[in-house]
Amino acid sequence: MNSEPPPTSTARRTGRLWPAALCAAAVLLPLLADAAAKAQPAPMSFAAAGDAIRTHTLANGLQVIVWPDHRVPSVALFNWVHVGSRNEGTGTTGLAHFFEHMMFKGTARRPEGEFDRLMEANGARNNASTSQDVTVYQDWFPRSALELVFDLESDRLANLSFEPQSVEKEREVVYSERRLRIEDSNPAFLDEQVQATAFLAHPYRIPTIGWPSDIRSWTLDDLQGFYHRWYAPNNCTLVLVGDVEPEQVFALAEKYYGSIPRGPAAQPVRTVEPEQTGERRFTIERNGQNPLVQIAWHAIAADDPRAPALNLLQTILTAGDASRLHRLLVEDRKLAVEVDSGWSEGFDPNTYSVYATLAEGASPAQFEQALYAELAHVLDAGVTPQELSRARNQVAAAFWRGVSTLDGKARLLGEYAVLHGDYRKLFAAPAAYERASGAEVLAAAREVFKPEHRTVGVLLPRAGVEH
Amino acid sequence: MLALTLLAGVSGAVAGAGDNLNVPVPVHQRETLGNGLRLILVPRHDIPLVAFDLLLRGGARFDPPGRAGTAALVADLLTHGAGARDAYAFADAVEGAGGFFDAEAREEAIQVRGQFLARDSLLMLELLGDAVLRPHFAPEELENLRARRIEGLKAGKASAPQSLLPSYGRALLFAGHAYGRPVGGSEQSLAQITRAELSGYYAAQTGADRATLVIAGDFNPARISRQVAAVFGAWSRAPAALPPLAEPTRVHGRRVLLVDAPGSAQTYLWLANVGLPRRYPHRAALNISSTAFGGSFGSMLNQELRVKAGLSYDASASFNRGTVAGEFAISSFTQTENTARALELALATLARLRHDGLDAARIDSARSYLLGQYPLALETVTDWAVAFAELDLYGLPESYIGQFGTELAKVDTGAIRAVIDEAYPAAEDLDIVLIGDAARIRDAAAKFGPVTTMPLAAPNFSPAADTR
Repeated sequence: MNSEPPPTSTARRTGRLWPAALCAAAVLLPLLADAAAKAQPAPMSFAAAGDAIRTHTLANGLQVIVWPDHRVPSVALFNWVHVGSRNEGTGTTGLAHFFEHMMFKGTARRPEGEFDRLMEANGARNNASTSQDVTVYQDWFPRSALELVFDLESDRLANLSFEPQSVEKEREVVYSERRLRIEDSNPAFLDEQVQATAFLAHPYRIPTIGWPSDIRSWTLDDLQGFYHRWYAPNNCTLVLVGDVEPEQVFALAEKYYGSIPRGPAAQPVRTVEPEQTGERRFTIERNGQNPLVQIAWHAIAADDPRAPALNLLQTILTAGDASRLHRLLVEDRKLAVEVDSGWSEGFDPNTYSVYATLAEGASPAQFEQALYAELAHVLDAGVTPQELSRARNQVAAAFWRGVSTLDGKARLLGEYAVLHGDYRKLFAAPAAYERASGAEVLAAAREVFKPEHRTVGVLLPRAGVEH
Repeated sequence: MLALTLLAGVSGAVAGAGDNLNVPVPVHQRETLGNGLRLILVPRHDIPLVAFDLLLRGGARFDPPGRAGTAALVADLLTHGAGARDAYAFADAVEGAGGFFDAEAREEAIQVRGQFLARDSLLMLELLGDAVLRPHFAPEELENLRARRIEGLKAGKASAPQSLLPSYGRALLFAGHAYGRPVGGSEQSLAQITRAELSGYYAAQTGADRATLVIAGDFNPARISRQVAAVFGAWSRAPAALPPLAEPTRVHGRRVLLVDAPGSAQTYLWLANVGLPRRYPHRAALNISSTAFGGSFGSMLNQELRVKAGLSYDASASFNRGTVAGEFAISSFTQTENTARALELALATLARLRHDGLDAARIDSARSYLLGQYPLALETVTDWAVAFAELDLYGLPESYIGQFGTELAKVDTGAIRAVIDEAYPAAEDLDIVLIGDAARIRDAAAKFGPVTTMPLAAPNFSPAADTR
């Protein structure tokens, strides 16, 4: 049935390493309540939901956003560092993610292990994730641990130490993560290849976990250089949600972060991906039983005004059992056992991908043919008013689910503050979705689904494998 | 601003108890319909959502012999055509309202869950009534869902081998017991299930006196109570009362099941024995011990395998507790050539726990961690619907949630020592499952016990054909 509200992550220090993971999030991100509000007044209007939010920027450039919520005696603190694998280069791919792991090691003030020991002893859980665009450090804790968490977070931002021994051990941990997430996973392996093929120039071609040879060869100097270049208060957005008061948080921010010097201005990613001028295609063989197909088209950036229309299109195409592509390709034609699609909303234009798992022995060519015919039908006739209404209600409900937890609020606020440029856009999104018309959804489809802009990756089960 | 007033009102209640260790159980009401259906209503108005959790006691334990996956397919079919709606119309009604609606089988229940915008609560009840009382079991939907489950199992082997460890492990550890059957079925058993078997299961294993329905969220309790009575009042009782489950018995000595995944980049490990039931009386001490041993980043297992040795991205251990004892299992993964080293380290860490126990600092840390984290699992209306339903399924009192903090505070080193002696198996008494490249790890595996090998591509989860 419909996608389930995301559970609180239990994974530790995982990276959001491939677009499939981002897509699931993308469905839930941009959200609104106007559809709901118009039908019947809700007890809380979306526009008013964020009235209690306060922000403060320190002299060193650290932006702090606080959303008080006293329903449980707990706090979520997310530090959004504006660096991801799009800021990496040849030879040091995966460095942003590896650095994320190193941030849990020792500092000049505290030996390795103290960070986690103190967190757990005071009731706090933590995690972090790295994407193509950002690195996010997350802490969930009882309000009694608030000052300790400020102390620990500011300490590692300012005073991280680099012990050669712990670098080598963590290198093995990251390689284990790569084996788990990429090398023993056919969908993730295919996605890595598709992304690297779709982008020739822009660093979105880089897998966030890093190419194997680079994981093997990062140096201490690389790590230190990365730290000094990116980990500065003016390159961070600190989001706190929960049982706190803004003035108390701002005072703690001044106390613990105020003396950290401003760092160099972040270097922009200058490279713009040149327009793709013809389809790219490859086939790989791997152990397994099911063929996989992934097709990626160049799309738009997170702050593009067409984003609401593209997200509605995504919902119409693949969100739930009533969605168009599921209906056609899984239920009616039985060409796939699962079909999904999504778009990574980032600083720069990323790809929109359709992912499919086919039944054993099924034909990728037939699947592609049926998919393209249906997309041609969308480009010709557009989407129906019923589909548009269903999609609007799905994103409206997803908003309320998103703001029903401290974790969801911290994620949404950070995504809008960092990737969309202003947290207030979260609360303006409902109107934007309500305004997005069928014509705009059609325009978004026409913008994205151009044959010359697509990369097709096919994964076939290796011949001769004993079943 | 109404919203903020409401939030502040709620916060008053919680903040007053904030320095209390316990999460207060929310105001709720209970009633039992004439046909035996138990209803629990948990009103809460801070966000315009309504969630429900309906548990039908029974579940996969009543799958016929050789037909694992029967309850799972029954659950799938509840939402694929029911009442006046075919599968598409049902999905369209759910998604058209921005709702979520799902049914799935577990070992001891079929669980139907959902969440809707508050304005759609009547639609929600209508869909729930149709799904539970009037499913179509349409033959073409059965074939679709059967094929998707079978292909999903095959695809899982090539995308997330770690997720399959419990299926292989439980088939070995609980052989002959209901807990040993794969709830979602195997490729082989799914292929053999008939529509008549599904109808037979539905007739025998569902009924109002097997059901508990919890509704939590933004609704009027008096009104929704009347609506529930109208939807479910005529539901008949199940033909028979639930028989008790047999107590599983612990294994002695070691056995190794090697699941051959040629070309696998690493080995996935699972080490287990029979653990404890949900109603184990020393649950706070158990949770502290399992958090300290394998339930957090700073736990003994993760420290040894990941932080100190760099052998794995993750190592953990947990107790899966049902009406009767489920498994205690350690789980991790490591580069193929480090298989023996990781296994030895896991075993040595378990032996160290049993020999040395936990020191006061570790106990206090795990206690604080649980106290700090448990409110975060009870935030949403869905969290509360699930929490009340689980208490009911296992016959636990509300104090299981409402006094958890107090219980954690009472645990001392003596209680921890007693739990370790009672709950954790000796390192010599374990069933071990390894998914990995057999050609490269067979010799390493043999150091840990007699090895049985089966291919990952086999259509079931145990080396003997699944004929139970």
